Amino acid sequence: MHDTIIVGAGCAGLAAAMYAGRLGLKTLLIGENIGGTITLTDVVENYPGFVKLTGQELADNLKKHAEAYKIEKAEVKVTKISRNHNCFLVETNEGQTYQGKTIIFATGTEWRKLNVPGEMEFANKGVHYCALCDGAVYKNKVIALAGGGDSAAKEALLLSQFASKVIVLARGGKLRGEPINNQRVAQNPKIEVFTNVNIKKIVGDKIVKALVLDRPVKDNTTLNVDAVFIAIGHVALSQLAKDIGVKTDGKGEIIIDRESKTNIHGFFAAGDVCDTVFKQAITGVAEGVAAVYSAYTYINENEFICPIGNEDLIKAKK
Amino acid sequence: MEKNNMPRVKVYSTSTCPWCTKTKEFLKENHIKFEEVNVGEDEKARNEMFDKSGQFGVPVIDVNGTIIVGFKKDVLKSALGI
Repeated sequence: MHDTIIVGAGCAGLAAAMYAGRLGLKTLLIGENIGGTITLTDVVENYPGFVKLTGQELADNLKKHAEAYKIEKAEVKVTKISRNHNCFLVETNEGQTYQGKTIIFATGTEWRKLNVPGEMEFANKGVHYCALCDGAVYKNKVIALAGGGDSAAKEALLLSQFASKVIVLARGGKLRGEPINNQRVAQNPKIEVFTNVNIKKIVGDKIVKALVLDRPVKDNTTLNVDAVFIAIGHVALSQLAKDIGVKTDGKGEIIIDRESKTNIHGFFAAGDVCDTVFKQAITGVAEGVAAVYSAYTYINENEFICPIGNEDLIKAKK
Repeated sequence: MEKNNMPRVKVYSTSTCPWCTKTKEFLKENHIKFEEVNVGEDEKARNEMFDKSGQFGVPVIDVNGTIIVGFKKDVLKSALGI
């Protein structure tokens, strides 16, 4: 049986794994994608200690740090978490079942969808969610970018390295990016920003050809583009936690306290899946470390007798 | 594996795409030889990728004519027979 099973291997999960290893906890880190969402970020400039590095470099550093301690890793998808007495059972898509005294849940988020006609039909055919992944496919093309937050500003800046033109379509009255990124957008000759505008429909034949807007842009409600990248925020991947009764807020984000505790004893959460307002690699890493310390304290204060776990069954057979 | 049994593998990628990097690392770790084309620079390869996969997401991996979109380890393993 593991002392802690960390579900999710992004920044928060990797930081938690590092500290759990450091505290000598028998640790299992499970995640489909070691490194997580930060690997899809081009440049990170707000992680203390590193003036500028790529998301992949940050993920690699965190992974290396976690691996400096004795931890186990499984690059699989968790399909179910359930209770077994005061322990937890974690099942994966490859058929394994692991038992842990505690869970540190750090599954992160997925991209929020626009939910307009054409979005699903043209997915990967001009509708994309990750500039670093697919932006370079649109060299010298006209790209629209839906969104008005800091991620949208950063995606627009990255897309401008490939595209002939980037047209930012923001729903609100102004861009809500960090001032430094808003300024970069404003100074970029390839980027044009339109505010108070919504995409009503994405149209095309085999691929995206145009967007239908709710107000005229350049005197027309139809905007001809080769692609649209969507950066309108994220949705918490909290379903597995909700399934065992972990409380979430109205947005589906897990409610944690300052010690990364949820409403369920032994179940801790960290990173973008949580209800913290400011979601950054730095805040996620801090929550991950707080979660481990809480788990460590909880393990030391409790006894765990969970007789139907796999390992106990194996022992019984022996 | 015999040399003439080696699968023909072509990876359509871009210079920035993280999943392309993961795909190539996976192939190298498993000693699979592959041809790599950059669809961000090569318009002909870009069109070829669309003809084969019907979409513009990268990476696209062609394993002996089996077209895989994205880095899906299980699907890739099965196509490669490893």
